[in-house]
Amino acid sequence: MSARTQERFSAREIRQYTFRAGLSRSEGGLMELISEGYTYVLGAVVLLVMSGAVVVGLRNSLGIGNGSGFVSSVLSPDFHAVSLLQASATVLLTLAGALLSVEMSVGPITMSVPQTAWWLGLPVRRRGFIQPGFLLSMVWPTAAAIAVVVPLTLGLPGAPQPGRIALAVLCGIGVGLLLYGVAAWAQITNSLRFLKGVAGVLTLVAPLTLVVTALYDNAGAGHSLSMDWLAYLPTGWPLLVAQGSLWPLVVLPAALALLLRAYASLERITTGRLRAAAAAGAYVQGSLLSMDASELSRSLGGGNLVGRSRVRLPVVFRRGTATARSIKTLISTHATMLLRQPAQLARVLVLAAIPASVASVAHLGNAILIAFVLYLCGHLAATTLGGTARFAAGNPAVDRLMPLPERTVRRTHWVLPAGGMTLWALVCFLLLHALGAASWPLVILAVCAGPGLGGATIRAAFRPSPDWTMPAVASPLGPVPTGAVRSFLVGPDLSLITLLPVLICLVAGGVPLIAFPIQLLLSTLAYAWGTRVRRRKKQGEGFLASLAQQQPPAKR
Amino acid sequence: MLGRRAYTAATMTKSRTPSTKSPTAPARPSVVRADKLQAGYGDKAVCGVVSFTVRAGDALALVGPNGAGKSTVAKTVVGQLEPVHGSTEVNGAPVDDRDIEFRRDVAVVFDDDAFFPALTVAEHLAIVAAGHGSGEVEEVIDRELAFFGLGALRDARPYSLSSGQRRRLLLAAAFVRPRTLLVLDEPEQRLDTAMRTALAERLRAEVDAGLALLVVTHDPAFLQTVATRALFIADEVRTMTPAQAAVAISTENPHAN
Repeated sequence: MSARTQERFSAREIRQYTFRAGLSRSEGGLMELISEGYTYVLGAVVLLVMSGAVVVGLRNSLGIGNGSGFVSSVLSPDFHAVSLLQASATVLLTLAGALLSVEMSVGPITMSVPQTAWWLGLPVRRRGFIQPGFLLSMVWPTAAAIAVVVPLTLGLPGAPQPGRIALAVLCGIGVGLLLYGVAAWAQITNSLRFLKGVAGVLTLVAPLTLVVTALYDNAGAGHSLSMDWLAYLPTGWPLLVAQGSLWPLVVLPAALALLLRAYASLERITTGRLRAAAAAGAYVQGSLLSMDASELSRSLGGGNLVGRSRVRLPVVFRRGTATARSIKTLISTHATMLLRQPAQLARVLVLAAIPASVASVAHLGNAILIAFVLYLCGHLAATTLGGTARFAAGNPAVDRLMPLPERTVRRTHWVLPAGGMTLWALVCFLLLHALGAASWPLVILAVCAGPGLGGATIRAAFRPSPDWTMPAVASPLGPVPTGAVRSFLVGPDLSLITLLPVLICLVAGGVPLIAFPIQLLLSTLAYAWGTRVRRRKKQGEGFLASLAQQQPPAKR
Repeated sequence: MLGRRAYTAATMTKSRTPSTKSPTAPARPSVVRADKLQAGYGDKAVCGVVSFTVRAGDALALVGPNGAGKSTVAKTVVGQLEPVHGSTEVNGAPVDDRDIEFRRDVAVVFDDDAFFPALTVAEHLAIVAAGHGSGEVEEVIDRELAFFGLGALRDARPYSLSSGQRRRLLLAAAFVRPRTLLVLDEPEQRLDTAMRTALAERLRAEVDAGLALLVVTHDPAFLQTVATRALFIADEVRTMTPAQAAVAISTENPHAN
């Protein structure tokens, strides 16, 4: 930016200046970001290879057969699976709800918090600031439509022709952009806020219809519950196009008209709404970085609901030693915080039902797929129950109110997530058992993993933050702080290690006795690892400092 | 800069009132006019009804206890919040921060501790100065960095600064650009005493030169140095002289009950 000028800069020039000035002092590139996480990636690959070998060995020793575990189904042959049409329509409905919920919170018209603070007060046309983000973020619904509609239509009965699939994708893009346009219009005019609540409920409830249908159909009542009508909702129209209908393509001109109207009205949006969207975006970004389902849903749901709960648990205890009383008070406080957010508990229950929902769909009862979904849901449920621990990590002064050592406090944080995840594992595997996908020994093994997942929750909650005081790494999206990738991977790693025996046994199709002591050992290690308190290095400690102390004094 | 007059009670005796203006002086133009304004969130008001006019060369202080709604009123006046009732005009036009003229005239400093992590102190100021066409950008920036004691931190990044230094950076951003109305929310917060004194005296000089100032403050000395009038914000809003307001914020404690 020229220092000698009387000319006022345009929004475009200011935007470019901000971006380039930031990149000019970042170091390295994408490879640095990748190399940050390479030890984790390498570790995960080694773990997967070893797990594969163990699965093959187990299948042989249990006499299950020499067939590959990668294609084996975990369901019994007489299982009445949910139709692929219903499953696909449910997936589309859930994703549409999630997309609308995200867009109505973060806003199709997006800026970062610093951008709203430093750009919006400038006397230049705001379109230059707003338009690029608005146009760029159209990529997301488009990409999501392609990524989702193609595999779903490929799996439909009758093997649709490529031309039909292309039309279905076009319809999917239309639906995605229509939702995007609705959210943009709602953001510009500050209207249609009720849609956000509807979308949130849909996202939670829709996946449950699969497992409910499967349980009903397999209950032996002789009736079957068809929910194929879900495909006739606008979110399911791409499936109808893939099956031969053309009328759903009417969604394309409707989406285009709405987007054009929103584009023309971009500058009607107020600073207040842009700031609100930026704050929500920062919250969502933080929760995505921490892979935290609870924070993510809270950020998309518009924040905490405070002052409405009547849950009151005792916090003053008179029996026992001072330490025991303090511990009871802390646990009671954590329980109060958790019970005051029933939506979180509902979310944990929904996450427990999702592996069974996937297993209930025709051709999806594949052991590897269920294991993958199980891991993902397990970690998301664990982080959902870690809200109190994350709050404590961000506000350490609160924990210091109690006359307890840091390590004891950290272990106290473990109690509720451990209990909650044990219950989660029980519910999740009982549902899988009801569908015939899990044996009783596997249910017991999963329950043994619960306390270990509590350890992973605490490790994720107290993870180190990215370091903005170090040179940032250049990326196409701007500078990324040092340690961002490593920070992202702390927590999911321990969830994977803890769940490994369960996942291996699920894929292998049997549970040998040795799996129980291994699972208990891993859960104990996860507890110890997760609740470990890093000792802060004092000045003069560490390898480099000790080298410096060994150096002879410089000669004068 | 730091060798200025000590920031003591003696400063408070420099309090000014509108009566110091010559009665024959021509009417100064109205910059801000709030008409039966009620600030709040949604349809819930947080304080009483506010009506005032701030002319060029006026400094109106909003004072009152914590949580009374001072900052909410200030944010509503500049259009960052929707009013529950009433309206505000700036330079004769309804407040609308989507209007370029409004943004050209009105400089606002709230407690927004948000910065571009990869940009330096000087680059943050360059965005504002160049965006407003402030002329010799580098010179303007150097002058404000020197005034706010940030000269040595020109190439530092915001998150390596102390909270007080970041506050100075936010304030400096309001001074590297032209303005007819300046709205400050507790500018004295996190500043050391010398900086408070320097800022108060500079604001007073700018107000004397014709700036319209709306300032939220808890500091009696700052208030008396800078303000020409005050509004005590509570369930019932009262108009006061700066001296009365200084006494009120020092003695009225609504939290005592």
